[in-house]
Amino acid sequence: MKKNSIAVLTAGLLLLTVFAAGAQTMTGLDVMNNVYNRPKGPDITSELTMTLTNSRGSTRVRTIRQFVKEYGADEKKIMFFTAPADVKNTSFMDWSYGAPGKEDDMWIYLPALKKVKRISSENKSDYFMGSDFTYDDLGERKPDKDTHRIIGEEKVNGSDCYVVESVPKDPDYIYSRTVSWIVKGSWIGAKKEFYDEDGELLKTLTINESDKVNGYWVVLDMEMENVQKDHKTRLQLKNVKIGEGIKDSFFTERQMKKGVR
Amino acid sequence: MKRSITLLVITAVLLSAGAAAVSAQEGIGFNGYVRNYTGVLLDNSDYTSDFSAIENTFDLKADYSGDISDLHAEGYVYSDADDDLTAGVRELYFDIYFDNMDLRVGKQQIIWGKADGVFITDVVSPKDLSRFVLPDFDEIRLGVTSVKADYYLGDFTLEGVWVPVFTPNVIPSGNSLWAVSMDLPSTVDPSIVKFTTDLPDTVLENSEGFGKISYMGSAFDFELMGGYMFDDAPAGHVSVFNPPTSVKIIKEYQRMFMGGGSFSTEVAGFVFRGEGAYYNGKVFNLGPDYLQADLLSGGDGTIEKDYIHYMAGLDYVIAGVNVSTQFIQEYILDYEDKISNDEFNSTMTFLAARKFMNDTLELKFFGYYGLNNSDALVRLSAGYDIADGLNLVIGSDIFIGDEGYFGQYDANDMVYAKVKYSF
Repeated sequence: MKKNSIAVLTAGLLLLTVFAAGAQTMTGLDVMNNVYNRPKGPDITSELTMTLTNSRGSTRVRTIRQFVKEYGADEKKIMFFTAPADVKNTSFMDWSYGAPGKEDDMWIYLPALKKVKRISSENKSDYFMGSDFTYDDLGERKPDKDTHRIIGEEKVNGSDCYVVESVPKDPDYIYSRTVSWIVKGSWIGAKKEFYDEDGELLKTLTINESDKVNGYWVVLDMEMENVQKDHKTRLQLKNVKIGEGIKDSFFTERQMKKGVR
Repeated sequence: MKRSITLLVITAVLLSAGAAAVSAQEGIGFNGYVRNYTGVLLDNSDYTSDFSAIENTFDLKADYSGDISDLHAEGYVYSDADDDLTAGVRELYFDIYFDNMDLRVGKQQIIWGKADGVFITDVVSPKDLSRFVLPDFDEIRLGVTSVKADYYLGDFTLEGVWVPVFTPNVIPSGNSLWAVSMDLPSTVDPSIVKFTTDLPDTVLENSEGFGKISYMGSAFDFELMGGYMFDDAPAGHVSVFNPPTSVKIIKEYQRMFMGGGSFSTEVAGFVFRGEGAYYNGKVFNLGPDYLQADLLSGGDGTIEKDYIHYMAGLDYVIAGVNVSTQFIQEYILDYEDKISNDEFNSTMTFLAARKFMNDTLELKFFGYYGLNNSDALVRLSAGYDIADGLNLVIGSDIFIGDEGYFGQYDANDMVYAKVKYSF
């Protein structure tokens, strides 16, 4: 019996030691890689509503239908703008790649021009449809584009989080640094701060609601506030479906022009 | 004017009400816009009016989506400064979708190529140039009644278009601000010149046919296309030349082949675009100094030559400003000095646009610069979204130079305001 107790104690100590060693060696890059590589399902469709509120309290609303499919480390995304009327039937497609250094391919279809046009991936720093989100904020910024370090651990809404500071390797990037609160285990963001080129706080991202859909964590409601301009954007997802089986032929020029029913 | 605006508003309200009622039925969607466009000439000394444009437009699109087919209709009602109402159909077609093929039948705009603001391989839909190149491009392009089939093979698309009846470009009327005068000897009084238009007969053999293969992939996109068609712009064939009493010119549209291609690719954040076309047997007019001799030798003041039109363009983003520049060149092969056009005609375009205030304000500069005549069109505009769907644009169109494609309109400098409500 004594022998058994010693064996259990030894095994327990060993496990604790391994766990502690693992925790100690967890780096900022590891955390952000876990976020980037978090299982998201083979494909996801959703309806996005963006509510823009300016400093006077007046609001503008944009609605989008979004389709995303994973191809290993690569991802294809297509968005169909459904409102307001002056952007209706515009579509946007982004093919992003996991390979380091390989930039996204992006196209836009403007119904007035009736043609699909390749656009520069430099547009990822642009604000998306006048919201407080850039294309980069909405997508998955590759971890290798920033230098990451863990600067603390905090609880946010009852969840244990790593606090990770990320500094872009490109000195001309729109943010000088970001600070992310990442929930341990689920590797989903809890909140994020964005600092401008002068190091001043520019924007804060608050996650209002996350939930599991078909076993995958999805952010369903978040709000980005530009604290310098007193402008904010609430982004809500509804009718989220994961693993419905979007065809490869959906991510094509044909579909961009055809739109979605 | 008052009557036409009232009529326009009533029509818009009735159509909108009808649209709203019908859209309650499943599968039918309506959208469109109402717009006022008012332009004021900076110098009216050459004209009787201060206004370059007073236009009110109501545009309505209707879409019906079925299981394997869609219907699309777009019509417009338009009133101008002369109190005239014009109504028309911009597009009216239906789509049938198969697994790997789409079929579109009816009046439709078909757009080809990668160039912005110039037409090189974009030869299927003719253009409405009655207001030069100033309107939005969906209003410049004319729908053609045609059958279009697209077959999809992986990342490739094969497209075939049959246009049974030829539709030419709309050219500015003689009393328009944008009227183009033909280059005739100085001894000819323009008032005695009579023009007639000879359109191809509406017979099957005068059909136009076009084909295109296109590819869209990660590394690059390209299109290769060809067409057996009529030139959308006419050449002036002199039928009678007895100045000072009588000069008669017949505008004819030349049958010709066109082959071309275009591509776009991105390298390090820069999008490179290229487009080129070879036209076999385009007809050019002769210069005024050579006209008489040509007529005496049995000619009609025209000559047929092959012709190349190409463009190289670059798009990039710098400090949040979308920048685009293009170099465009036209080249007449086997050139002869008696041709009224230059052997080479080169044009550059520049675009710089940036949005501010969460995309509610857009400042834009677009310029054409003609290298042959050092002439230019400079377009500056500021657009502001007053509310979702309600947009105000204030801008100026300034023509620089004395001659050339843009310089000929030096007297037409204007400022304008456009208010557009989209629904």
